[in-house]
Amino acid sequence: MELFDNLLMGLSTALQLNNLIFCLIGVVIGTAIGVLPGIGPIPTVALLLPFTFGLSPASAMIMLAGIFYGAQYGGSTTAILVNVPGETSSVVTCIDGHEMAKQGRAGTALAIAAIASFFAGTMATIVIAVLSVPLSVLALKFTAVEYFSLLVLGLIAAVVLAHGSVAKSLAMVLLGLLLGLVGIDVSSGVARMTFGIAALSDGLDFVPIAMGLFGLGEIIANLERPAERRVVSQSIRSLIPSWGDLRAAFPAVVRGTALGSVLGVLPGGGAALPPFSSYALEKKLARDPSRFGKGAIEGVAGPEAANNAGAQTSFIPLLTLGIPANALMALMIGALMMQGIQPGPQIMTEQPKLVWGVIASMWVGNLMLLIINLPLIGLWVSMLKIPYRLLFPAIVLFCCIGTYGIANSLFNVWLMMGCALIGYFFIKIGVEPAPLLLGLVLGPQLEENFRRAMLIADGDFTVFLSRPISAVILAVVAALLLAMLSPAILRTRKEALAE
Amino acid sequence: MSMPSLARAIAAAVLTVCALAPSGAGAQNFERPVRLIVPFAPGGTSDILARLISPKLSAAIGQSVVVENKPGAAGNLGADAVAKAQPDGHTLLLMDVGSLATAPSLFSDLTFDVQKDLAPISMVMFGPYVLAVHESVPAKTSKELIEYAKANPNKLTVANSGVGGANHITAVVMAKELGIQWKNVPYKGGAAASRAVVSGESGVIINGAAATMPFVTNKQLVGLAVTGEQRIASAPDLPTFKEAGLPGGDAGTWQGILTTGGTPPAMVARLNAEIRKILELPEIQQKIAEQGGVVRAQSPEEFRNWLKDATTRWGTIIREAGIKGS
Repeated sequence: MELFDNLLMGLSTALQLNNLIFCLIGVVIGTAIGVLPGIGPIPTVALLLPFTFGLSPASAMIMLAGIFYGAQYGGSTTAILVNVPGETSSVVTCIDGHEMAKQGRAGTALAIAAIASFFAGTMATIVIAVLSVPLSVLALKFTAVEYFSLLVLGLIAAVVLAHGSVAKSLAMVLLGLLLGLVGIDVSSGVARMTFGIAALSDGLDFVPIAMGLFGLGEIIANLERPAERRVVSQSIRSLIPSWGDLRAAFPAVVRGTALGSVLGVLPGGGAALPPFSSYALEKKLARDPSRFGKGAIEGVAGPEAANNAGAQTSFIPLLTLGIPANALMALMIGALMMQGIQPGPQIMTEQPKLVWGVIASMWVGNLMLLIINLPLIGLWVSMLKIPYRLLFPAIVLFCCIGTYGIANSLFNVWLMMGCALIGYFFIKIGVEPAPLLLGLVLGPQLEENFRRAMLIADGDFTVFLSRPISAVILAVVAALLLAMLSPAILRTRKEALAE
Repeated sequence: MSMPSLARAIAAAVLTVCALAPSGAGAQNFERPVRLIVPFAPGGTSDILARLISPKLSAAIGQSVVVENKPGAAGNLGADAVAKAQPDGHTLLLMDVGSLATAPSLFSDLTFDVQKDLAPISMVMFGPYVLAVHESVPAKTSKELIEYAKANPNKLTVANSGVGGANHITAVVMAKELGIQWKNVPYKGGAAASRAVVSGESGVIINGAAATMPFVTNKQLVGLAVTGEQRIASAPDLPTFKEAGLPGGDAGTWQGILTTGGTPPAMVARLNAEIRKILELPEIQQKIAEQGGVVRAQSPEEFRNWLKDATTRWGTIIREAGIKGS
């Protein structure tokens, strides 16, 4: 019953009028920056930090958290409508979501994304309230060895992810891994492939590459098609998803939520692993995998649920251990320190009102987001009626502002422009950029953890098999590989891919 | 941030981008908004300090002070931007100056000269390090730790926040002076290093007390000693390195403010006076104490000497230990 008391105490904080208002401000700002491509929560929160000094700690945290999970809702909007992923988490949503939009089902895709996000957000709030402590213990069980095995699994999933030839998607993963090597090596401090350019020393930023390859590449490809052949501008069918849609999407939402809740807790895995893994899982489980990449509703519902659940459970290490799981959580710690609150493992016992207030506000915020987002869908979809000659320059402009704002660097803008041309080339030769992005995100972590594991174990390879969690994950990898290579599966895959 | 000040900040940003021609007026007056560059991502110690100081400095000089995060290349990107700015005191740099002292030895292709292209204004704070171990390490005191390390060479792993960072160098100095051998394991930043030691992946950590002390307070790590001249308020029973007979007692986070090299001395003096006034304010002192630090105001001359001295000392250690940058 202690849990019930805690949640009631949290609600009493979250439902105070001023906190409700700050929660609303947070989720509205979050939705807005999520919709604007490239303008992510991190620069926004950094900009608003000074403003939070004057607030009570609970109001400040409630608002900043709202910005973060609100952005996850908005991020799917541009991914579906114009194929621009604003965040790592919405790359996967582009694959089937934009396809649905092209088929005139943009409204359905947006509604399913919002509903999946709300369901996941609600469940993740319960997970945080009930399972924070055991999950944080699990997160601490993950050392370099377990991370390495998990990342191998993620990369294998990347190959499953792509539709089209296995050879092409393998090539793209490898290209992504190569690009991920650029920058100063964590383990030795040596600069690799930086060509003396200081801007490259921290590696290639994910956002400009994602926006260039997906969004801008798509825009260039669209320019060569005559405007009247625009599929997207066909009459938009009803915005409310049919029962059939909901029935098809629901199991994927539940699975995505479970997957996202667990993976979100792991520091570093936060943004990329949950949606990518969920997509791969849905594709594996689907009766007809060939629908994926052609507008499968599960391909939107699962990953959207996973990324929202993951975004929220990434608060667990912060709330229970005082350890930031990602750059945004580090900012939150900064915000707390400014308030004179020492973040750390003691925060739950010393500041119960604050911690439970933030947890309860997440559910309140998710409800607000659903209420805000569903009526807005009509408005977003009508955006697609804007003529290309106005819409495209606006998207390019926002992408440039967002990319520049990440680190106030012009280099990223040029990088994005270069990737736009490469993205166009990829569309022309018919390869999927998604595996490349996964390689780019996971590659550096894979290498870092492998080398660290080897350094600590004195180069003994058996550690990967002698530690139970790692051994289980590697067994799953082996099973996946066997399944992929076995002739029967190979045949069905060929049939499935024959277009 | 209230609406008018937000509007001011936006206007300031726009004006800064427009790169107004330098004015020929008296060097001590501020003609346009001042940029305070923090070469790290938002949320870290430097960033928090910058956001504490900027409104006060803005009020003192009658111009907006805009905090700008330019992360990248271990702080070198932001430092480079300041090094190449107009030498008129309108572009300031707030960072952990330990990285400035080690950069010349770590990076062969550094694009600026720390001594020539940057002008020190004042040190801001010193943040002590805490030496702590995971409970699986059989040592409850520094003495036991040294004995264990001597008996088991290369068995202990020390987590650091990056190759060539100040805490990595401290671990190297300790090993050399004490005649022990342990493995240095680099992580991406202090938070990741702390996590690794809390989870037991690595055994030992030497890291900023502000970030690592809570784990000691909560019994997740065993604290052994702190750097600095005196014990810290949050853990009065932890001896200083000096008391515990450990080398490297002056290691820690040194945060300072610099501007572009070649800025007129009168301008540097004005900035130094304003910043020292701010550092004397009780609320700022209290906020810095909450960061686990002590205010360290200095004259530009003292700061310059500290930087020269640290560059030489740490440079020698880096070369002897063969720590590689690029």
